[in-house]
Amino acid sequence: MNVTSSATPELAAKISVRGLNFFYGENRALKNVNLDLHANKVTSFIGPSGCGKSTLLRVLNRMYDLYPKQRAEGQIVLDGENILDPRVDVNILRSRVGMVFQKPTPFPMSIYENIAFGIRLYEKLSTSELDGRVEEALRGAALWEEVKDKLHTSGLGLSGGQQQRLCIARSVAVQPEVILFDEPCSALDPISTAKVEELIDELVTRYTIAIVTHNMQQAVRVSDFTAFMYLGELVEFGETDAVFTAPKEKRTQDYITGRFG
Amino acid sequence: MTEHIVKSYDRDLETLERRIAEMGGIAEKMLSEAMDALASFDTALAQRVIATDARLDALQREIEEAAILTIARRQPLAVDLRECIAAIRISGDLERVGDLAKNIAKRTSKLVDVARTPRAIIGLKSMHDLAAMQLKDVLDAYAQRDVERARAVWENDADLDALEDSVFRDLLTFMMEDPRNISFCTHLLFCSKNLERIGDHTTNISETIVYLVTGESMPTERPKTRSSTIAAEPPTPAPH
Repeated sequence: MNVTSSATPELAAKISVRGLNFFYGENRALKNVNLDLHANKVTSFIGPSGCGKSTLLRVLNRMYDLYPKQRAEGQIVLDGENILDPRVDVNILRSRVGMVFQKPTPFPMSIYENIAFGIRLYEKLSTSELDGRVEEALRGAALWEEVKDKLHTSGLGLSGGQQQRLCIARSVAVQPEVILFDEPCSALDPISTAKVEELIDELVTRYTIAIVTHNMQQAVRVSDFTAFMYLGELVEFGETDAVFTAPKEKRTQDYITGRFG
Repeated sequence: MTEHIVKSYDRDLETLERRIAEMGGIAEKMLSEAMDALASFDTALAQRVIATDARLDALQREIEEAAILTIARRQPLAVDLRECIAAIRISGDLERVGDLAKNIAKRTSKLVDVARTPRAIIGLKSMHDLAAMQLKDVLDAYAQRDVERARAVWENDADLDALEDSVFRDLLTFMMEDPRNISFCTHLLFCSKNLERIGDHTTNISETIVYLVTGESMPTERPKTRSSTIAAEPPTPAPH
């Protein structure tokens, strides 16, 4: 492992990535990546376009399975189990490791159904239990107060920021352990961005979070650990405060200070 | 260091650096002229030093404002952030150096009407020369971003402290020899304190330089004496 690391070893790893290589056809997009996502911490992934950060995020819940020419080699261990093993049930995996995308993607259904849909895939609940779970999820995404009187209106009628929080509620509803955020605020205005960041501060007490972001300041504000990637390699990994005030690698410093992009 | 993609960002940081260099030059000149004025009882020169302090104060305010604007505009990180913080800290230390030189200059006017002991100034001159060298070295260390040079300044401050102790003893001796020396020597005591404080500010600047370059703080306790000085006297045995 050539990566420069300044993380403390006592933290529990929720997900351990070891020797990960990822291929789009013949093209190797991730090169021997090793890192840990520490439990109940936010880890941010930063790096220039094409560095592999979104690729890495999507391997963590095997989104690449949906596409024929993409494959991963190596180990990604979640609670002692290698999720890259073909015998793993990816549907269960994706309820344990949820994902929120850059563009809000509410289903073309009511707000209530957006949440209930996912729950029903995994659990058989009575109506009142389901009602309770929907409310819990919407509260968990700081959206309940805004939508409680219009649960049966379309999710598409919400503002961009609210739609994104609806997507977060959807992930939270199936009681995940890890939530992956892929540039969750890129399409949002500053106030909605602040609300999502506030939500992440609260969610991390209950979940392990990974976030890909282009916004340096957001990474500094929101994350405990930062991984800087470049051309498919993990260049530097460490506590966010240290990485952004005194990075160990010149490439990291050049990127975060705007000396190359 | 590679340039920023946005060139005006480089210009912002260069402006900070240039203004610090300007402040440094003025502070150095104030210190040397204050000492000259004292040694030759030149009240006109002393007045010019006092007047120069206003320019130094104005520069410090300009540097602070420029650093704050750079922080607001660029949200700097890593070394760029440390540059802004360093500029704020160093300009504060240089402003104090100017104040201390001004205080030395003010003493000159007071000394004109007092009976003088010229040989009492000799020790003070040595202190001045060392303090001036420390100031020059630390400003060079900042310009070169030279950590080793900054650390040397930090270490050498022990010599200035030791000189202050010997000047203190000398001045006491002169005062005890002849009470007519008391007024003059007391003024010089204050000047030696000012010079020792200038030394302290140069060590502050050297600590800031180390932080700027490495991102790490220096150890908080600087050794008060050199590690190579003679060992402490053996303790006197307790009476039986």
